[in-house]
Amino acid sequence: MAQRKTRKRYIMSRHEEIFKTVESLRWNLGDRLHDDAVEAIYAEAARISARSVTVAGEAKRPTFDQTLDRLVTNRWMGIPMMVLILAIVFWITIEGANIPSAFLASILLDAFHPALKQFGDNVLMPWWLSGLLFDGIYLAMAWVVSVMLPPMAIFFPLFTLAEDFGYLPRVAFNLDSLFRKAGAHGKQALTMAMGYGCNAAAIISTRIIDSPRERLIAILTNNFAICNGRWPTQILIATIFVGSLAPAAFSGLVSSLTVVAVVMIGVLTTFVVSWGLSKTILKGEASFFSLELPPYRPPRIWQTIYTSVIDRTLIVLWRAVVWAVPAGAVIWLVSNIHVGQESLAEHAVRFLDPVGLAVGLNGVILLAYIIAIPANEIVIPTVLMLTVLVARMAGVGVGAGVMFELDSELATAQVLKAGGWTLLTGINLMLFSLLHNPCSTTLYTIYKETGSAKWTTLSAMIPLALAFLVCFAVTAGWKIFG
Amino acid sequence: MTTHADHCEVCPVNKNSKLVRMGIDVTSFDHLVALAGNPNVGKSTVFNSLTGLKQHTGNWPGKTVVRAEGAFAYGGKRFKVVDLPGTYSLLSTSNDEEVARDFLLFGSPDVTVVIVDATRLERNMNLVLQVLEITDRAVICLNLVDEAKRHGITVDARSLMRETGVPVVPTVARTGEGMPELLGRIDEVASGEFVCKPRRVWTESKRLKKAVDAVAEQLKKEFPSLPNVRWVALRLFEGDQKIIDAIRSGELTDLAESVRTNGAAKNEKTVHHVTT
Amino acid sequence: MNVSWEIIVLILALIAVMVLVPRSDFLARWRGSHRDEPRILREDALKHIHHCEYSGVPCTLDSLAGALGLDRNRTANLLDELVGRKLIAYNGMQLSLTESGRNYALSVVRVHRLWERYLADETAVEELRWHEEAEKQEHRLSAEDAESLSRRLGHPLYDPHGDPIPSQGGVVPEPKGKPLQAFGQGEVVRIVHVEDEPASVYAQLVEAGLFPGTTIKIAGSGPEKIIVVKEGKSIGLTMNLSANLTAVRVPPAQFKKEQRTLASLDLGVSGVVSRISPACRGLQRRRLMDLGIVPGTVIEAEMKAVGGDPTAYLIRGAIVALRRDQARLVYLEEERATS
Repeated sequence: MAQRKTRKRYIMSRHEEIFKTVESLRWNLGDRLHDDAVEAIYAEAARISARSVTVAGEAKRPTFDQTLDRLVTNRWMGIPMMVLILAIVFWITIEGANIPSAFLASILLDAFHPALKQFGDNVLMPWWLSGLLFDGIYLAMAWVVSVMLPPMAIFFPLFTLAEDFGYLPRVAFNLDSLFRKAGAHGKQALTMAMGYGCNAAAIISTRIIDSPRERLIAILTNNFAICNGRWPTQILIATIFVGSLAPAAFSGLVSSLTVVAVVMIGVLTTFVVSWGLSKTILKGEASFFSLELPPYRPPRIWQTIYTSVIDRTLIVLWRAVVWAVPAGAVIWLVSNIHVGQESLAEHAVRFLDPVGLAVGLNGVILLAYIIAIPANEIVIPTVLMLTVLVARMAGVGVGAGVMFELDSELATAQVLKAGGWTLLTGINLMLFSLLHNPCSTTLYTIYKETGSAKWTTLSAMIPLALAFLVCFAVTAGWKIFG
Repeated sequence: MTTHADHCEVCPVNKNSKLVRMGIDVTSFDHLVALAGNPNVGKSTVFNSLTGLKQHTGNWPGKTVVRAEGAFAYGGKRFKVVDLPGTYSLLSTSNDEEVARDFLLFGSPDVTVVIVDATRLERNMNLVLQVLEITDRAVICLNLVDEAKRHGITVDARSLMRETGVPVVPTVARTGEGMPELLGRIDEVASGEFVCKPRRVWTESKRLKKAVDAVAEQLKKEFPSLPNVRWVALRLFEGDQKIIDAIRSGELTDLAESVRTNGAAKNEKTVHHVTT
Repeated sequence: MNVSWEIIVLILALIAVMVLVPRSDFLARWRGSHRDEPRILREDALKHIHHCEYSGVPCTLDSLAGALGLDRNRTANLLDELVGRKLIAYNGMQLSLTESGRNYALSVVRVHRLWERYLADETAVEELRWHEEAEKQEHRLSAEDAESLSRRLGHPLYDPHGDPIPSQGGVVPEPKGKPLQAFGQGEVVRIVHVEDEPASVYAQLVEAGLFPGTTIKIAGSGPEKIIVVKEGKSIGLTMNLSANLTAVRVPPAQFKKEQRTLASLDLGVSGVVSRISPACRGLQRRRLMDLGIVPGTVIEAEMKAVGGDPTAYLIRGAIVALRRDQARLVYLEEERATS
């Protein structure tokens, strides 16, 4: 034993001997060692390739690439082309998702859910267990899947195809001067575009930004791109509260313009907040710009579809489903556990009402945003359920804690207006939906990507504070001028 | 072998009867193969072609941030393949580069296949030369030669081999062209049949010779099994903490063992893709 | 409606604003005014004496009082305390460090310089604030903190001003180079050290683009002014500026008259990199080199983005976009016959 110890000490001293040699030599070698190494290796690389590579004629870069790049970066053509391509991608996504979404909903919500309830009755399951499992947990999961899966399964492959072809880096290249003014990276344009599909997936995609500061900016502001869970909310509310103000012939157009205005406010907010962050809390973070424009390559369609479904869609969907389980349970429980004469939900709504009304919303909306934090998809069903519950409306909905949606916008409008909603509520809800904190799936992803509680907290608090502030200002202005 | 019979007909690689793609079955192996390369050179395609797995590829640097493993059998021997993160260099401090570097140094692979883009050889040579500074056993897979040809670029594989001192195999991984030759070269180098004489610019540089010699000699005495003491010496001059720690704890050899068996370098996960 | 709720919302908003602006100038100044804690004074005194010893100038009670901004009485008390702690010794009128005093001083200097290196390499904190930040950190970080910082930075040898960072064992090499005044007209020198105090002088040197690693030629040397040439531009340095620069002589061939940078390259034209400006450090420099931008690299300007910036360059077969302010940091060799 003693011998081994001595031997160990002997070895250690020999190691220290090595370090001493190194330290004494280091001062003589100077601090340019790294630079020298890189330079020497690159010089050799150039020499070797000059000896081994022959280029036929003048062709340096394929003329096809060059022509395409000229077109893409053309002063007049570049931006309209980009808008057109993105518009087509979004159009295919929205139009294409409707059919599978309706199909999934008809199976998961309309057919399977009653069947599960029936099964619960058949095996004499207690009402609270069947309610918690099927009305709460199952319904939340089914809702998330049917609303989230189809758009993502369409959007991500399309996006990945554009990426693999080499077009998206050119978009980042073109838009960089805009983002630079906001202290951000051109690639943020891509993560933003991704955010219109899903914020959680967009957070993962910020990996393409290799500069620490700009990546954090992209992460912290991604929320202002409304994800596909929020599009339906925007469209529904715009139709009910704004579109209905216009003559019938124009109501569709007015609703669309309203949604576009909300998106534009989101883009503007992104720039303002990005700029603010780069000038304040992120000022000291290291920053570097680099953007490689890979050669155009024919995308491999099947492989892209396979990998983007596996890598992006399913991972994000899985996270969302995992989060939907507790949310579904909570939604059902708060509506069904009674304290005194009223359910927990009613108590909570009454408690939240003053805050809600101060910012032009109401207690139902705030409660819905609290308990539906896992996914924005279930906010509207939760709002409807809670409105019916609190107002004790008869004949609407399926029961306490059971989320639902109504087939016609008119019926939805009636329920909401009976719940005390006004045009101001509608406008504020759209703004709140745009600005409020990211869903828990996204927050979890931010935590995973940054590994920091500080940045995760900030990415929840900044939007939340902003949402309250803006809604409060709008309400105050409305009261003064309206 | 029989289970893959259907695939074999459409896939040129499998026409080579010596190859059996074993997917994620990496339980035991005779030789360890590391795949290195710049991002966006078809590294994942080579990996998939060798193992029969479906790893994601991207036309965009920095996308594959996790390391994948797979296996194949060739000529009766089992090879484990480790796909390292795509990097441009091994000298910087990014996480990806550290993972790749640690594996090459401590994982002591039997062969390192460096996949290079024939259309952009000059840029790719940087990584090749850095890999050759670390390891003695390497094969250069000169990929995308079809694309190079389309651009009017010809790379003289024999000249490249002469300059680098390691085997060079032109391939088109997407179609499987050249893959049988690549397998043959991997086998030859792994078994020691072919002895590489890698070109070393930096670890053999004259300016540093005296300093490197002094430390390398001490290191050689301490760690006789270490593949490249000159490189370790230079990392010490650059203040690489990982290597300082490994020496101080006397675990340089142990560390090598653990990277090799677990593939466990810090901050990274191993993905096992499910084959269909 | 309840007004108190509106107040709560306002407070929430205020908190958000405070989170966004974490370090106001007011707070920083308040912290600065509490500097006369005994330990900080002791450490600053030791540092000053070490500085004198290292640069070979005599150190007296007066010089110390001046450096610390204290009156003679308080300085004398401080020195008595240091003598009592066996950290310094009187050598006639001169002050000198004992063995333990020197080690203490070196550990403080080590933290200071490591921190400056850290700020230069890993953050985007402005150059002119490095010293001030390091002055704070040197009294806060323990020896273990310093060691872990050093590990993280890859055990750097010099701080960004060219001062050697004492090793953990307290080893510092002899100072290199001579003050700029010592060189004659026509000599080509490389700056190895830029003194960062006083801050106003340092700011002028930064403004003039004189960093460690900059190669300059002495064009004229007079009693009041030295004129140097850097990248084709003449810079007049008054004595108080040139006194803060240390340089070594280098072969005249290393002086290049380059004035062109990558940013001046027209589309479709190529140039040969002569070097990356010494003003480009840390992450910026490493990444540029990783892209293959090293002396001798041939770069061709390929295309501009819609807005005119950034520009895409063909670098070693890859198309890489760089912003204009980055391209300005890459110097090109003087035009050769090639185009």
